[in-house]
Amino acid sequence: MKNAMHIKNPARKIALTIAVSAALAGTPAFADETSCSPYTPLIKGQEDLVYVWTLGVKGVGDGSDKLVTVDVNPKSKTYGKVIHKLSLGGRGEVHHVGLSDDRRYLWGGALDSNKIYIFDIGTNPAKPKLTKTITDFVQKTGYVGPHSFIAMPGRMLITPLSNNKDHGGETGVVVYNNKGDYVGHHAMPKEHGGDGYGYDAGINPQKNVFLTSSFTGWNNYMMDLGKMVKDGEAMKRFGNTSVMWDLKTMKPLKVFQTPGAPLEVRWSWKAGDNWAVTTTALTSKIWVYKQDAKGEWQVKDVATIGDPAKIPLPVDISITADGRGMWINTFMDGTTRYWDMSDPMKPKETFTKQIGSQVNMVSQSFDGKRVYFTTSLLGNWDKKGKDDEQFLKMYNWDGKDLKLAFEIDFYKAKLGRAHHMKFQARDLSTLKPLDMASSLPALLAQKQ
Amino acid sequence: MGFPAMSHQTRLLIRGGFFFTGWLMACLASAAPIMDFVPPPAGSYRLERIQPASEGAVLDADGRRRRLSEFTQGRVTLLAFMYSSCADPNGCPYALTVMHMVKSELEKLPETRGRVRFVSLSFDPVRDTPQTLALYGRDHSGAGQHLAWDFLTTRSRRELLPILNGFGQDVGVDIDKATGKPVGTYSHVLKVFLIDRQRTVREIYTTDYLLPAMVLNDIKTLLIEEGVRLK
Repeated sequence: MKNAMHIKNPARKIALTIAVSAALAGTPAFADETSCSPYTPLIKGQEDLVYVWTLGVKGVGDGSDKLVTVDVNPKSKTYGKVIHKLSLGGRGEVHHVGLSDDRRYLWGGALDSNKIYIFDIGTNPAKPKLTKTITDFVQKTGYVGPHSFIAMPGRMLITPLSNNKDHGGETGVVVYNNKGDYVGHHAMPKEHGGDGYGYDAGINPQKNVFLTSSFTGWNNYMMDLGKMVKDGEAMKRFGNTSVMWDLKTMKPLKVFQTPGAPLEVRWSWKAGDNWAVTTTALTSKIWVYKQDAKGEWQVKDVATIGDPAKIPLPVDISITADGRGMWINTFMDGTTRYWDMSDPMKPKETFTKQIGSQVNMVSQSFDGKRVYFTTSLLGNWDKKGKDDEQFLKMYNWDGKDLKLAFEIDFYKAKLGRAHHMKFQARDLSTLKPLDMASSLPALLAQKQ
Repeated sequence: MGFPAMSHQTRLLIRGGFFFTGWLMACLASAAPIMDFVPPPAGSYRLERIQPASEGAVLDADGRRRRLSEFTQGRVTLLAFMYSSCADPNGCPYALTVMHMVKSELEKLPETRGRVRFVSLSFDPVRDTPQTLALYGRDHSGAGQHLAWDFLTTRSRRELLPILNGFGQDVGVDIDKATGKPVGTYSHVLKVFLIDRQRTVREIYTTDYLLPAMVLNDIKTLLIEEGVRLK
């Protein structure tokens, strides 16, 4: 296996970079319609609802983690309002959610309690109902911190962040079936340059591959951020690799060196594109994965986000459905940045706007005309004091400017820290498959 | 792998008197996934044990009441839900086409004789009667066709729903918003289930995952797991 790009001693660089900043760093997130699994039917028109996976805060409302449902259809009388909240009755560092392969269920994970919650969002999408809580995740897998949930046919691919032996970053990928029963797990590779770390995953069925990225373990993501950045040993414990896997065999194909915590993974959905993208939080780079002329997967550092010396800390990204543009949020300056990805090997930043004192997640509608932002990274990593804004904001995007349509202050509404978002339609019969497709006659004619 | 001509299905549907024109138009506009890779060789990988196959009462093409497990054990089984009036290009027509392709290839392998079965189970117990589905099945028992393909239905939706729930197959009855009445179609994510001899689901295919060469290799993989020597 070859290392595509390399920065000497990335851990030292990361520690140095963080240390020179008095500001607090952030972590990951992902969301939006174009972040759905390719197997999940999509809302290609107006979304009706957005679910916000919300961290409970002591003294705010009931103090518990909750799933908050917001009406986002402009034709509705309750547009821009919270119409439902489902409290979990405690705090477990909830983080990300994922839709099932039929979009009738929403899975949500908690990074500290290691619980996985399955909500019925099909029977009455406006009133999600908790149908199952998985509590055997650590027992079955030995892993900790269920993070991403990516639907596969009849099952859910889960990427945890840590393990139960040392609470470090070594982890794996896990499969549960749609009923919430354990199916199997596979360790992240430590051979051929692999560091064993994990974070997100993105599937490309056309190529029979999935790509994983890497972050850090429980010891770090549950630590107070100010304390962590002063801990040189802790700062060495971030993932520096990403891995291409064979989807059918669930075996690693190639390890890439992508130093500085590669986070969200997205594949371009434009038919025939077959390139993927990630950003590294601590080195502020955009990386693109593509096959070379011989069919071997390669990765290239294609651009720098902001001024790395100022620690912009890129977190969530959201790619357009046609693969020609991408939103990148930088947490530290609370700014969203639009990048022209028409040539993915030479992307260009074309628009920036500050959304708040901090911003983490970005979700766009399938047509790219509506863009949603939330704020929370992790309970112990969010900014402090007046900079700890917690909101959901929705903007209309006309290709030139973002215009605020509505916002909900999650502290004033006594909800908590607004984190991951997923959209839903009230009428599931309107959902459409992704359709990265050729024609059936062509299939009939082809020789395999 | 060479695929059978469309005329095979065409004849079947004409004889059945179904919505041939709509079906054909749907097929022509159909969106099938691209397979831009060489599938891993059969037997070089392990299929996970995903879930038990569902159970329930069904009706066979002769109208006899049977247990679904009679059709999902003892052989490697490829099972798909369908309904005869489905015109969704990403749905039943596509699944039927893929199954025909795989069937044709398997029947070139004498070692698979008696070891593989296909099952199509209807979403629509009202219109898909045993007599209707018998017209489908009739086309699969000719000379040279050794692979069993059973077309099943149920007595009622009440008997169908537990089977669907057991497999995790979603379905919704499409309603005319103006009249509030069913329009005769069903919303569902296409799912095809590969089941081993012990009635454990080993693979589930949806539209972007249902690739004939992959299905064929998965079936061969289960046969190799059983000790069958494929040439």
